[in-house]
Amino acid sequence: MKIANLEPNQLATWQKAVLWLFKYAFLFAFIAMIFYFSVVSDSFLGGSNLMNIARGSVVVLLIALALTVVISSGGIDLSVGVALDFGAWFVIIGMASWSLPWPLAVLAGLIGGSLIGALNAMLIVVLGVTPFLATLGTFFIGRSIQQIGTGGGASVSYRKAPEDFQAIAQGESLGIPNILLVGATVLLVYFIVMELSTHGKRIHALGIQNSAARVAGINTKKYRAWVFIIAGTTAAIGGILLSSGLRIYTPMAGFAYLLDGIAAVFIGASLHRGGRPNVLGTLIGVLFLATLNNGLDIMGIDFNVKAALKGIILVLAISAAVLVSNRLPQVEQWFSRQKRATTE
Amino acid sequence: MSKVNLEQTLRKPRRIGVEELKGFLIRRGPLLLFGLLLVVLAAGAPAIVSATSISAILVQASPIAIVAFGLAVVVIGGGDDVVVGGIDLSIPAGAALSAAVISDQLTNRGASFAQAFVFGLLAALLVGVINATLVTVVGLAPILATLAVSASVVGVIRVLTTNRRINVEDPTILWIRDTSIFGAPIPVLIMLMTFGLFGYVVHRTRYGMRLRTVGGNLDAGLSVGLKPRILVPSTFIWGALAAGLAGVLLVARGSGMSPGIEERLLVDMVLATFVGAAFSSKNIVTILGSMLGAILVSFMATGLILNRVDNSWVDGWKGVLIMLVVTAAALQTRRSRQ
Repeated sequence: MKIANLEPNQLATWQKAVLWLFKYAFLFAFIAMIFYFSVVSDSFLGGSNLMNIARGSVVVLLIALALTVVISSGGIDLSVGVALDFGAWFVIIGMASWSLPWPLAVLAGLIGGSLIGALNAMLIVVLGVTPFLATLGTFFIGRSIQQIGTGGGASVSYRKAPEDFQAIAQGESLGIPNILLVGATVLLVYFIVMELSTHGKRIHALGIQNSAARVAGINTKKYRAWVFIIAGTTAAIGGILLSSGLRIYTPMAGFAYLLDGIAAVFIGASLHRGGRPNVLGTLIGVLFLATLNNGLDIMGIDFNVKAALKGIILVLAISAAVLVSNRLPQVEQWFSRQKRATTE
Repeated sequence: MSKVNLEQTLRKPRRIGVEELKGFLIRRGPLLLFGLLLVVLAAGAPAIVSATSISAILVQASPIAIVAFGLAVVVIGGGDDVVVGGIDLSIPAGAALSAAVISDQLTNRGASFAQAFVFGLLAALLVGVINATLVTVVGLAPILATLAVSASVVGVIRVLTTNRRINVEDPTILWIRDTSIFGAPIPVLIMLMTFGLFGYVVHRTRYGMRLRTVGGNLDAGLSVGLKPRILVPSTFIWGALAAGLAGVLLVARGSGMSPGIEERLLVDMVLATFVGAAFSSKNIVTILGSMLGAILVSFMATGLILNRVDNSWVDGWKGVLIMLVVTAAALQTRRSRQ
C-alpha cells in the first residue's frame, strides 16, 4: 500500500504537518462542527444532550454495522430497513398477539430479521442474483408483507409491554443506559470479528476479489450467506430497541435509516488507510451523523429547512472525507518525489 | 485420449427437445409468466383491454418510462455492478424538483410555460452536474452519491413548496394533460419522442457505442483509448435531462405538484429499467426494454387495481415480479457460462 519510497521521518516537518492535516481532515471538520454547535447553543455540550446523541445513534449504529459487513464483502443490502421493521414487528406481535414471554418475543424479532437475511442469502448465493437487485426485491416484498399484515400500514402498539422488556431501551444498569450497553456489546462483537479475527479478513477478501478468495480456499458461498443473515439479524436488534423504547411498531419505518447507514460506512471507509469499510470508522461516521442531526434539532431550524440542510451537509461531508482520502497518496508521492529530486 | 474426447464431442448429436425447451423457458420465463399474469388480469377485468383503459395506462407509464430511459443510460455507461458501477437513484427526486420548480413558477410567480419549463429543466440538470462531479471528481460510489443527493433534493423541494401541494392551471399544462393527436395523448407522444432521442443516442451514435463499450467492459474500453472519466459522468447529465422532461409530465398528470411523488416514481423506475432487461436478447438494460418495462409495470398496477386486488398487495406483486426476472436472468447467465 506504501507508495512513497522514503520513510516518513525523512520528510520535512511542514510536509509531515500537511500530511497529518490531510489524514485527519475529517476529524478536524467533526471537531469544528461540535465547536460551532456548542457556541450556537448553550445546552449542546450539556451532559443530558450528549447522552441524547449517544442514545439516538444506537439504532443507526446497528444498521451501519450490518452494512459495514455487507459492503466489506462487496455487496449492498437495501433491505436492512425491512429487517429492522421485521424485528420491531415480530417482537411486538410476539407479545401482543402470540402472548409469548418477552425473551421469546425478542427471539422471534431476531428470527424475523434473520429470515430477511436468509431470503437475501438464498437469492444471492444459491440463485446468483446480484445483491442490489436481490435485496431490492426483498425490500419490495418485505414492505408489502408489512402493509398486508397491518391492514394497509397501521401502527401496532402494545402499551402493556412488560417492564423488563421496556427496560431494554429505557432502563439503566450501573448508571449506564441499557441501550448503550446493547450498542456497545454489538460494536465489540463486530470489532472482534471484523478487525481481529480471520473471519473479518476473509469477508474483506470476498469484497476485494471474489475469485481470488475462492482460489485461496475460502468457502465464499458460506461466508456470503452468513454476511447477509448476520446483517439482517443485526438490523433486527435495532428494530427491537425501537419497539422497546416506543412500545409501538410503525410499518416501513426502517427505510429512513438506510441512507445514514450507507453514509456512515463510506465515511468510515474514507478514514481507513486502504479505503476499506471498518468498524471504528463506521462508529465515527455514525457519531458524526448523530451530532449533525442533534445540532440541527437544537438550533430550532424549520423542519423543511432542516431536511435540506442535513442532506446538503451530508453530501459535503462525505465528499470532503472521500476527496481527502483519495488525494492523500498523491500528495505523499509528490512530497517524496520532491525530496528525491533534492537529494540527487 | 483428448483426441477421442474431441471427436466424441464433435460427433455428439445436438439434443433438441427437453434441453432447448428448458433454455427457452429460462430465457423467456419471466416474460411468459408475465404474459400469463396479464392474461389472468385481463380475464378478471376485461375493461382493461378497452381503448380508454390502454390509453390511460400508457399515459400513466409515460413519466416512468422517461425516468427509466435516464437510469438506463446511467446503467449502460456505468456498468451493472451496483456498488461501483452506474446507478442513479436521484432521477426521481430530480423529476420531482423539476415538477416543483415548474409548478412554483407557473402558479406563484406568474411565469410563462416556456420560462417555467426552462427553469425546471435547469434545476434538474444542476442535480445531474452535482452527481457527475461527486462521482468523477470526488470519487464517491454512485449509489452513495445519488442517494445522498436525492435526500438533499427532497429537502430542497420541501423548502421550495413548504411541503404543500401546488395547484397548476396553466393552459399549456392542461393542454398536455387533455389533448390527443390522432388518438395518442400528448404525454405518450412525449414519451415516444424521448424514446426516439435516447434510443438514437445510445444505440445509433458513436457516443452511444462508446458508452456501451465502457459500461460493458471497462478494460476493453480503456485499451481502445476511450475515456471513462468523461463518458461516465456524461450519463448523469442524460439522467438529469430525463428527470427534467418527466417533471413536465408529473405536473400535467397531477395538475400540479404534490409532495412525496418521488417515492413511488423511484420504485417504478428501478422496476421498469431492470425488468425491461428481460426484453433484450442478452438480458441487458436497453432503452426499448425500459419503455416496455414501464408499460408493463403500469399495466400490472392498473390490472391489479381493476381486479380489486388490495392496494397493499400491488407492491408485493412488483417485488415478486422483480425477483422472477432477476432470478431468471441470473440462471441464464450461469447457464451460458457452463
